[in-house]
Amino acid sequence: MSDSLLAAFCFVLTIALYYANKRIYDRSLHVILMPLLLTPAILIAIVLLADIPYQDYMADSHWLMWLLGPATIAFALPIYDNRAMVRKHWLSISAGVIAAVITSVVSSVMLARWLGLSVMLQKGLAVRSVTTPFAIEAAKSMGGPADLAAVFVVITGVLGMAIGETVLACLPMIRSRLAHGAIFGAAAHGAGTAKARQIGEVQGVVASLVMMTAGLISVLAAPLIGHLFF
Amino acid sequence: MSSSITSASYAPAAPASPWGQRVRQIANVIVQVLALSALWLLAAWMQTRWHVPMPASLLGLLLLTGLLFTGVVKTGWIRQGANWLLSEMLLFFVPAVLAVVNHPELLHSQGWRVCTVIGLSTVAVMVVTAFVVDVVYKFELKLARRRSNRHV
Repeated sequence: MSDSLLAAFCFVLTIALYYANKRIYDRSLHVILMPLLLTPAILIAIVLLADIPYQDYMADSHWLMWLLGPATIAFALPIYDNRAMVRKHWLSISAGVIAAVITSVVSSVMLARWLGLSVMLQKGLAVRSVTTPFAIEAAKSMGGPADLAAVFVVITGVLGMAIGETVLACLPMIRSRLAHGAIFGAAAHGAGTAKARQIGEVQGVVASLVMMTAGLISVLAAPLIGHLFF
Repeated sequence: MSSSITSASYAPAAPASPWGQRVRQIANVIVQVLALSALWLLAAWMQTRWHVPMPASLLGLLLLTGLLFTGVVKTGWIRQGANWLLSEMLLFFVPAVLAVVNHPELLHSQGWRVCTVIGLSTVAVMVVTAFVVDVVYKFELKLARRRSNRHV
């Protein structure tokens, strides 16, 4: 197979696998079947087994990643739609976001150091709890590995989605829907927001607002984070 | 471009075929995604042109939020495209995950350590966020109650 044909094949395969996976997941909602987890896992297996060079895979598929830019801009719509909620709860949302970003960065870097991971990995892990486009920007401005940051973001999303409800069950004193939604947006970005939307509408809206604000703050704070920790 | 006005409501005798509607819906999504992509390119151009000290994605987000709040851009112009971009976002970062193949050490020796960091840190973020939001939310309620008492 020629290189350009191979690239086109990988592009089509990625899209086809994703949509097939999504259909299956919509029917069962099982964590293992999440499109965020299963589709990349199958693709990685195929790329490794068939010995497809990374450059050939990316030649066409990088256009999918390019769409993350317009997708970031599209967040303006839910912000505008939920302006009433922003006006009413801006204080608790911003307090939650600031606490979440600080906890995330400090705990990630400290744990990574304690386990002896390299500075590169520490930088990638520092911003892993915010949504991908923002995490990539934040990692870049710290001089961290943008590609690995994206991988860590995805792992975080899958884990956060899987354990969120268990964490809430361990905290019976936290009862407000605002707090329930916030933990998903703060800890597990887009994946968590999807989960929060399954739990309830208010939770879903709060989760998406928290996710977006956390992303913004992380990008703006990234130079400071880099300066303080590395 | 508003989806709430269907052709059927104007011509009840000849309702639009489901296929025609579907095609129009897809065309709307494509046009609106192209418009949002153009705005993103504009933001990227502005960012390099004037050395704005923030990433282009952030600049574009602030730009569009401003346009929506001032009413220059109507939500109906971008709703279908924006919803599609947001709901298919997972697809866009599937290729990003493939970067692991360039870092075989992650799949072998360091994988469990990275996952330990992510797991513990995620629990920490959840617990801290839950308590902070809950406390400030109760404070917000108290403030609101005091404000309404003053009016009485």
